[in-house]
Amino acid sequence: MGDFKLTPIEEMEAATARLLETGKKVGADGWQYRVKNQTPHCKFGETGICCRICSMGPCRITPKAPRGICGCDAHGIVARNYLKFTAGGSATHSDHGREICKTLYHTAPDGAYKVKDPEKLIRIAKEWGVETEGKDIYDLAHEMAVLALGEYGKVFGHQNFLKRAPQHTQDIWEREEIAPRAIDREVSCSLHMTHMGCSSKPEALIRQSLRSGLSDGWGGSMAGTEFSDVLFGTPKPVDTEANLGVMVAENVNIVVHGHDPSLSEMICEYADDPEMIAYAKSKGAKGITVSGVCCTSNEVAMRRGIPMAGNFLQQENVVLTGACEAIVVDVQCIFPALGPLSKCFHTKFITTSPIAQMPDSDYIRFDVGTAAEKAKEIVKTAIDNFENRKPDLVYIPDMKQKATVGYSVEAIVKTLDGVANSYVDEMGTTKPLIECITSGVLRGAVAMVGCNNPKIRPDYAHIELMKKLIANDIIVVASGCSAQAAAKAGLMDKAAKDLCGAGLKRVCELADIPPVLHMGSCVDISRMMVLVAELAKDSGLNISQLPVVGCAPEWMSEKAVSIGNYVVATGLDTFLGVDPYVSGSDQVAALLTDGIRDWVEAAYTVETDIEKLVDLMIERIEEKRKAIGI
Amino acid sequence: MTLFDVVFSGNDAVYGLTEKAIDDAIAANGADKAIAFPDTAYSLPCYYAVTGTKIANLGDLKTALGVVKSLMTREQKLNDAFMSGVATALCAEFIEVLKYMDGAAPYEAPCYGHLGDAIIRELGVPLVTGDIPGVAVILGSAPTAQEGVDLVKSYQAQGILVTLVGGIIDQCEELGYKTGANVRVIPLGKDVTSVIHVVSVAVRAALIFGNIQPGDAAGLMKYTMERVPAFVNAFAPLNEVIVACGAGAIALGFPVITNEDTFKVPKSLIVQPDVSKFNPTSLEARDIKIKITHIDIPVAFASAFEGEIIRRGDMQVEFDGSRVDCFELVQTKEAAEIEDHKIEVIGPDIDEMPEGSKQSIAYVVEVAGKSMQSDFESVFERKFHSYLNCVEGMMHTGQRDMIRIRVSKDTFNAGFRVKHIGEVLYAKVKSEFAAVVDKCQVKIYTDAAECTKLRHELAIPAYDKRDERLTTLTDEGVDVYYSCIMCQAFSPSHVCVVTPERLGLCGAVSWLDAKATNELDPQGPCQIITKERVIDERIGEYEDVNEAVRKFSQGALEDVSLYSIIEKPMTSCGCFECICGIEPLSNGVCIANREYAGMTPIGMTFPELASMTGGGVQTPGFMGHGKHFIASKKFMKAEGGIERIVWMPKDLKDQVRDRLNATAKELYGIDNFCDMIGDETVAEDPETLLAFLEEKGHPALSMEPMM
Repeated sequence: MGDFKLTPIEEMEAATARLLETGKKVGADGWQYRVKNQTPHCKFGETGICCRICSMGPCRITPKAPRGICGCDAHGIVARNYLKFTAGGSATHSDHGREICKTLYHTAPDGAYKVKDPEKLIRIAKEWGVETEGKDIYDLAHEMAVLALGEYGKVFGHQNFLKRAPQHTQDIWEREEIAPRAIDREVSCSLHMTHMGCSSKPEALIRQSLRSGLSDGWGGSMAGTEFSDVLFGTPKPVDTEANLGVMVAENVNIVVHGHDPSLSEMICEYADDPEMIAYAKSKGAKGITVSGVCCTSNEVAMRRGIPMAGNFLQQENVVLTGACEAIVVDVQCIFPALGPLSKCFHTKFITTSPIAQMPDSDYIRFDVGTAAEKAKEIVKTAIDNFENRKPDLVYIPDMKQKATVGYSVEAIVKTLDGVANSYVDEMGTTKPLIECITSGVLRGAVAMVGCNNPKIRPDYAHIELMKKLIANDIIVVASGCSAQAAAKAGLMDKAAKDLCGAGLKRVCELADIPPVLHMGSCVDISRMMVLVAELAKDSGLNISQLPVVGCAPEWMSEKAVSIGNYVVATGLDTFLGVDPYVSGSDQVAALLTDGIRDWVEAAYTVETDIEKLVDLMIERIEEKRKAIGI
Repeated sequence: MTLFDVVFSGNDAVYGLTEKAIDDAIAANGADKAIAFPDTAYSLPCYYAVTGTKIANLGDLKTALGVVKSLMTREQKLNDAFMSGVATALCAEFIEVLKYMDGAAPYEAPCYGHLGDAIIRELGVPLVTGDIPGVAVILGSAPTAQEGVDLVKSYQAQGILVTLVGGIIDQCEELGYKTGANVRVIPLGKDVTSVIHVVSVAVRAALIFGNIQPGDAAGLMKYTMERVPAFVNAFAPLNEVIVACGAGAIALGFPVITNEDTFKVPKSLIVQPDVSKFNPTSLEARDIKIKITHIDIPVAFASAFEGEIIRRGDMQVEFDGSRVDCFELVQTKEAAEIEDHKIEVIGPDIDEMPEGSKQSIAYVVEVAGKSMQSDFESVFERKFHSYLNCVEGMMHTGQRDMIRIRVSKDTFNAGFRVKHIGEVLYAKVKSEFAAVVDKCQVKIYTDAAECTKLRHELAIPAYDKRDERLTTLTDEGVDVYYSCIMCQAFSPSHVCVVTPERLGLCGAVSWLDAKATNELDPQGPCQIITKERVIDERIGEYEDVNEAVRKFSQGALEDVSLYSIIEKPMTSCGCFECICGIEPLSNGVCIANREYAGMTPIGMTFPELASMTGGGVQTPGFMGHGKHFIASKKFMKAEGGIERIVWMPKDLKDQVRDRLNATAKELYGIDNFCDMIGDETVAEDPETLLAFLEEKGHPALSMEPMM
């Protein structure tokens, strides 16, 4: 306990600098260099006023040329780009969810994929009105998989999961015509609206952005999360470690990267196989270490305690250690740079998905039917590669922190049951958390999400924001690369309670939790939606009244914009540290930061000064407290 | 108003009262007027613990109030509420200490007010063993007196120490419910500020056992939260002052359970509208587990009744070993000879005995088990005293064939009979020694002739045999010693090394006890320590012992000697029976026992001496120890042994006289050595003591200087 200390950002940066030196020796590229080459960025692109949706252009708006050739003004162009960006993110998350549903469809009692949480499957089936009595669990799994896949193209009606929201929220969605219909339809509809000659009215385009976002958060992402739990188990608190120091020099190091747990789960399964371990030993290694990068890492960390090597902007670092036998990727957020980089080392860059195919990679196509053999083949390839390692290039920074991860909503409720009193309290609710908030012991909560972005000093914003929040008795739930930043710094070590204000510290002690709770990968932001829905229902407040806000300080991907839209549309004020290419239109900016509050009771705040960003969040939380008289 | 606003306003109110009380006191008596609580070495314990500053007079108190004011910050954060709670508690302590000005005794029966250090040291052992599983602080008036008394009784029956503040005291009196430290129900006082007297106990526990340094407020709060199993039951209506006090309690980690509809904070501020459920709600909130041994008797069985006294008038019958033949005995048998749970009564039952009569009794507990050793017989037997005392309305004193047992009329009327003694002994022996006792049966004799016969034919020969064995039990004669870290729940770095000639400093763990404990739970508090690698025979230092001490103290202690109080002395947890300290003028040591309230020639009282050590820290020149150790040949052997003892309280001297005289005779050929030792009737200052010692020709005077 006594020797707990956060890993300062400077130490992480020094480790990266040391790795880049190895890179120089072998002529490797790095994002740090590419950023320089790309700076300054195109101002038209950055402010969102470049339009290239038809071949009359590209058009760009200037004071002298206030309209494109078709006559669309800056506001239409910015809003259209914004919707397209959203649709990209929504499609991506939702397609990930679809793959999970397909995996569910292929479960079998003796197959590679099994139903690990049958209770959760039954619970969702009941929610959807599916008869479960007397049904074989695998028959039910297949039936639910078909229904879930149907959500992507349902002919009539809205997303099934919307019913999980409080009635007030559902009413808003209905009233504002943003309740999402079929998931694919919202993506198609968005692309339709942004076609040449369709919508140019910011209100209409932003409204569809919200709807498309909701189809992700309360549709595709939620399916991804929920059915991943059914397949691989619902996460519960588990101890793990984070940062590059989790790689073990004497072992075969396999790094999983991407988002879809169908692949990483299988890799972990076979890397643990005694036959494979014996094989690794026969090749001179002491064992096999699987670690992860990005969200697939979050998935296996939450369910298996597999250590996290790093987050988005650390993906090249794992190769630069010279100790990575294979970096195995599925989909999303994978740098094409890994191809050429891996060629500078012995590392195998193994792509597996038809969705994410890249030059300079070994493509081992992975699918549900052949998952077991393919996973074995990949693990074996990595082991075979151990002997090709160049020992003089090996440098693993001795840097890692302990983390307790795995806080699904179910796990949070169970933790809260632990501090409830069975003689007074109802069990299985979020009420103890609400009591902490209403009494003032906790001032509120912040959902920290999102990526890294070189526009912000990597991880700095995540870590500094979290430090200040917890010192102010504000509990943080985190997912994605934000969660990994927290884990790398040590904020998910229970000992980090000593960095908290007296209120959060006491809560951490009584509930035996770290002050920053790891809720999963980026699709798992749907868990956060379920959590706030429960908090609202259990407290009798609207979601927008809760002293809870969302924050993505270092976001970069289209998915992040989709997420932002559904978080705001669910009623949570959302704070961004990077502008979503809308500064070219004061109308769109005003709509997003203010106007949509009339629709969904929440809006965005964009503030690139991180110090100010955190103060604004604390201020907003205190305003919300005041408004409900607590 | 937010919860924090309520706390702030209660704090402001108490602060105002305190300021006025201090100003008035200064106006009347001057700033130099001395103030202190009696029987404590810790000044104003709460203020001292939080700030590290001792207060001697009213002027100091006024200065301290300024420090308290600095805690009273007003942000809407828990830290501010906690600190305001602490400030409120400190104000309460200031108000209470003013009541003790001029040596006044502001509290009269049944209220206790301030509790001395000795009480805390006594509580140490039962708290760590779980005999006292928790401490309840009941504040205010229950909805009805009956509900209040029922609540008190429910805790008492679980062995929980109950303290009372305010209306509940009157409610207990109204229904004639017996209170007092001996039954573990302690009324503190009727003003809400008197609650500080139990807070003061918790705080001193941290200083005494936890080695928390005065001024380390954060360490103090961590200690009380993790190690003092206290909780508060506050009856509605709650005013803001009570809420502010509650914030202080919660800051220390003590949850508050109330029947007032107010803010709720999980595990901290719990609203339980049903007073009859306060007990289980509170235990769950503080994570207190009650060890349940179901015993089939018609009255309650709880450690709270251990100190209960049965007066002659309340007595149904008495078994008196000083007048007629009585004894208690454990015997190891073959498994085939025992029918488990068989309880035989040979002779008349209580209802056949005249009321108020003196009778004979003998009970033989026969046990069998694969791991049973005859060495454990005396270990079990010594526990009978505690077992039988836990029966409501039963009093047991003495041991072996010198026992005396009284059964109250109420208990007899509830249906208690002789066979129930067997039930108690059976249930406790089976549950507490489950690892070594497979089968157990009890034979109880009340037939006077049988008792006489068996006493001489069975019991006395068995005792003689045991004593013979005990005399051969020397430190040199055994291969291993034992650690005892039972107290680490309170005193995290303290380790006792228990040897045949040096029992644990609490007096409760002899080498045989430790051996049995080890047998019962090899991974438990008593583990084997080898003694193969001697470093220094004179002071009793072994490499193996040092290694064990390092391991069990988690590195806090480097090395200890077994026989010296100057060189690497063994540490104390704080619950020692006695403390000895060097008296330089006479070149000897004075010993004071916990019960002794007066001054010693060292110039310190027991509490003051005791505060010099404890908390697992080595303090050369001072050593906590058990009473039994005083007559040991190993008692500060390195410094010359018992010849160094120059003073001890008369009561203690009488208790150890025979054995101490015998040891002195054996070691030095001195007759009646105890007569050479001073006591409080001879001297309470070093000069008078020296004159006495010179007159008696005490050997310490001619010994080598100790330092």
